Amino acid sequence: MGNKKLWISFAFIILALFPPLFLSQYWLHVMIISLFYVMMASSWNLIAGFTGQVSFAHAAFSGMGAYTSGMLTVYLGLPPWLGILIGTGVAALLGFGLGYLCIRMGGIYLSLTTLGFSEILRIIITNEDQWTRGTMGLQVPGFFVEYSKTSYYYLFLIVTILLLIVIYKIIHSEMGLTFRAVLNDEVAASSSGINTVRVRVLAFAISSAMSGLAGGFYGHYLMLITPDVPSLGQMFLVLAMAVIGGMGSFAGPIVGSFVLEILSEYIRVYGEYHVLLFGLIALAMARFAPEGVVGILRKKWRREWA
Amino acid sequence: MGVIIEGKGLTKSFGGLTAVKKVDFHLNKGEIVGLIGPNGAGKTTLFNLMSGVYHPEEGTLSFNGMEITSLKSFEICRLGIARTFQIVRPFLKMSCLENVLIGIIGRGDPREGIKAKGEEARKLLKFVSLEGHEKNSANNLTLIEKKRLEMARALATQPRLLLLDEVLAGLNPSEILQALELIEVIRTQLKMTIFWIEHVMGAIMKASDRIIVLDQGEKIKEGRPEEVVNDSKVIEAYLGESDA
Repeated sequence: MGNKKLWISFAFIILALFPPLFLSQYWLHVMIISLFYVMMASSWNLIAGFTGQVSFAHAAFSGMGAYTSGMLTVYLGLPPWLGILIGTGVAALLGFGLGYLCIRMGGIYLSLTTLGFSEILRIIITNEDQWTRGTMGLQVPGFFVEYSKTSYYYLFLIVTILLLIVIYKIIHSEMGLTFRAVLNDEVAASSSGINTVRVRVLAFAISSAMSGLAGGFYGHYLMLITPDVPSLGQMFLVLAMAVIGGMGSFAGPIVGSFVLEILSEYIRVYGEYHVLLFGLIALAMARFAPEGVVGILRKKWRREWA
Repeated sequence: MGVIIEGKGLTKSFGGLTAVKKVDFHLNKGEIVGLIGPNGAGKTTLFNLMSGVYHPEEGTLSFNGMEITSLKSFEICRLGIARTFQIVRPFLKMSCLENVLIGIIGRGDPREGIKAKGEEARKLLKFVSLEGHEKNSANNLTLIEKKRLEMARALATQPRLLLLDEVLAGLNPSEILQALELIEVIRTQLKMTIFWIEHVMGAIMKASDRIIVLDQGEKIKEGRPEEVVNDSKVIEAYLGESDA
């Protein structure tokens, strides 16, 4: 990491320590949700933006993490952190399986298969209500004895930062390089000695595990898990955040998550149209500015400083 | 000398079209062998069989005495066969240095440190005269530069057999000379065996020890360049049947 980047990240982290001091409970909630979306969009970006596997099962995996942890804490009385750990593992295993199933597929076929998986999972969760409580929602314990948004904010901040560090390390490692080689040209990568099947499945498993982790924390924050967590609406929101922010870059999904989550709070008064609106913006972005907001800003700064 | 690669009765068809039909061939260590034939003769398909992009329906391939017929591309590459592509396929959205690094990582040797790998990649870029382009995106290169980059990526895997698919196509005469020089250096300094598809006849006749001619999927002639150019079957394949 360059020195400049290191200082910028450091400054952001310091700044991120202050919001609980002056934000209202409502806006603190928005910040916590934004951090959840940062984890979701950034980990989705790892498979979609870096290996080119546009999976629609990412929200489903977060639901897997949330429900696994939720049911373990409710029915077996496990502590939330252990539940989340197991939920992450389950998401990783399922991600590995789904990734393996999709190795011969690319583009739209992979997307459709993951979409199908996602819907099947949502339907199972909705119908198996003796365990999941279906659409009524599963009430799960929280992390802290005394409920406090400030504590949750710092918890989410720490987890998000740790997750982002892992993602940054992966992107800038040899593994990240092989991810991008697979995205660029699978045949050429394979002919250069890269085990492309392994790379794709690994990316799928890692990214799914991360979304399971994010979902686990999300569930224990909301303390009520509904089939909305693994829903397609949630999926498209995450997709829009990554695409509008900038797919294939580290900062893109982070920026996209905050901007869209805060924006949707303002739009919400007009009804639940924000996903539709974001979908349209994401479509336009993918067509005219595939590098997203971060890409546009980066180009602009480079031009002005050069 | 000894044989480095040998194919026996290789057959591959696509639908009703047999692209490669019962082809036998071999290459000796250290040779430059040219593979020629009219368009659609099956040259690139043969390369794809050798590099594991396709697998033959019949026949066997062995490399250094080891059967490789059904191995995957990356496994074949790790055994020591690298290739370039007829239509260049560098990783366009990656820098030149990263392109070459993939070849080095592709060797699958975890003992080497990342620093040593970067150093080696730089050297390889210099070897193909792309120094100064390290951070440049492969997308910004000219055609001959892309071809050189592909060559560097192939060399990075440390092959013993190099498959070159029309490296001279689309180059102007002075660029052709540069490319030929590079190939000569690869052969003499790195002591590699080279199997080479080319349509630029003058160049391939001059550079090759031996020529294999394919036509409609079948091997119609094999021999020293001067034997091949005067063969009636080869002339027929290229020019059509003569009336005389």
